[in-house]
Amino acid sequence: MTIEKNKKMNKGEVTLIERVANEMFLIKIKVAADFEPRAGQFVSILCDNHTMRRPFSIMNFLDGEISILFKKKGDGTAYIANLNVGDTVDFIGPMGNGFQCVSEKTLCVGAGVGVAPVYYLKKVLGENARLIAGFQNSNEIPACLQDEIDFISTDDGSFGAHGSIIDYLDAQINEYKPERICVCGPHIVLKLVAEKAKAHGIPCEVAMEKTMACSIGVCRGCVVTLNRSGKIDNASVCKDGPVFLGEEIVW
Amino acid sequence: MVDLSVKRGKLLLKNPIMTASGTFGYADEFNDFMDVSKLGAVVTKAISLEPRSGNSWNRVIEVTSGMINSIGLENVGIEKFLSDKLPVLREKNIDFVMNLAGSGMEEYVELAKICEENKIGAVELNVSCPNVKSGCLEFGTDAKVLGELVKSVREVYNGCLIVKLTPNVTRIEDIGLAAQESGADAVSAINTLKGLGMKLSFRNGKFLREQVIGGFSGMAVKPVALGVVNRLKQVLEIPVIGLGGIASMQDVLEFLAVGAEAVQIGTANFTTPDISERIIGELTLFMEENGFATLDDLKERLRGE
Repeated sequence: MTIEKNKKMNKGEVTLIERVANEMFLIKIKVAADFEPRAGQFVSILCDNHTMRRPFSIMNFLDGEISILFKKKGDGTAYIANLNVGDTVDFIGPMGNGFQCVSEKTLCVGAGVGVAPVYYLKKVLGENARLIAGFQNSNEIPACLQDEIDFISTDDGSFGAHGSIIDYLDAQINEYKPERICVCGPHIVLKLVAEKAKAHGIPCEVAMEKTMACSIGVCRGCVVTLNRSGKIDNASVCKDGPVFLGEEIVW
Repeated sequence: MVDLSVKRGKLLLKNPIMTASGTFGYADEFNDFMDVSKLGAVVTKAISLEPRSGNSWNRVIEVTSGMINSIGLENVGIEKFLSDKLPVLREKNIDFVMNLAGSGMEEYVELAKICEENKIGAVELNVSCPNVKSGCLEFGTDAKVLGELVKSVREVYNGCLIVKLTPNVTRIEDIGLAAQESGADAVSAINTLKGLGMKLSFRNGKFLREQVIGGFSGMAVKPVALGVVNRLKQVLEIPVIGLGGIASMQDVLEFLAVGAEAVQIGTANFTTPDISERIIGELTLFMEENGFATLDDLKERLRGE
């Protein structure tokens, strides 16, 4: 039976899988020609016999290959980490909205594995962006990205500046003078960066992460609360996001 | 061409494959994955009179061969459904059943009236959501109360009236019979089981616990669902729509074998968004290859009638 309108069911072949930091992996998947992602969008990967697909931000898309950076945390990500070159990956995507910014001078901020989508954004924006990122320690910095990040801090000072990336945000903003800030990382980092951006009067886009069941906006499992001009409403991270304006989120 | 249609009283479907409430949104979300108009029917996400914002964050967790959800009937409300969603369903020729969730008898009746006025062909009463504090589940666990509810809805609604049953009761036969005696055209079973999903990790001397209490669904619940459908079929004359853990054509055949007239696919829509269309294709092919001209022929053979 032929399926006519099947734009987002995808299969791809693993072309590379490697450990790039402590429990952090890079996987590259060769996909069909009509795949057109934007920075901030994600794919959801079927993990063997697991009920829920696992969503991952796209870290790069080049020569028909999607790059994904992920941290091995549970049995779903363990399954992906154990894939071999040549294996088939069943995924849906690209999903979600992606970052909106196209031309503004942008400060891209990543924390931990959250560096992936803002790295992609920086690649897209080119000279018009700066990428800064914070990690727990030097073992958590993905080797494949280390030279691509303009400023790195580690919580224990084992690489780069000593402390949280939040500690350096004011200085980075004052020095780089961005027109927009885009951030991805743990919830608390998103909140703090959004607050700093607001204090500086700079628009801020945050890429959020939540446990998802469907990835397409129907189950309402991954909602966040938004305040849009005084109107309080739920939005799903998978469909309405994962990127939201920091000022809209009810933290 | 094989005839997959289901004709049982007011239950009229072009094929027996439906998608379950809460797993398929209002259908248009799935247009990126499949041709939704091929489905026997889409059962909409539960709809209440006013919009509902649902439960707080952390609503889903995976468990072995399934998941737990605690969404809390978040929905756009009937007004927005009628203005925004209904025209899309009708324009795209999508057959649908409206799932209705009230917090009291009056709300169900009001919703049913609105459906009658808007010529909605079929409704499914959600009397079995485990995740909201008032209404819903309490209607589904007391045969007398359910009977009164169905009777009141029947008085104002003439379309196909389906009652969705919860497995979280002692004797589901009594609940099914109450629905039948009060004028329901069909029952669907099962809604989710009550459950608790947990992920524990131990880091830096501390336990981190991720936990969701709510409705348990997915492949793991299929034996429970088959058992319930089998029990209902012993006592009911109205059609039973089977659901719970269906993820393949084989699963569909099993439900038809115990007497289901149609089935709903639920959690599997999350795992494989085009699963329902695939199953329709596989079922059609199976019938063609094995000489079943109609779905009734297939059911007859499955049940050894």
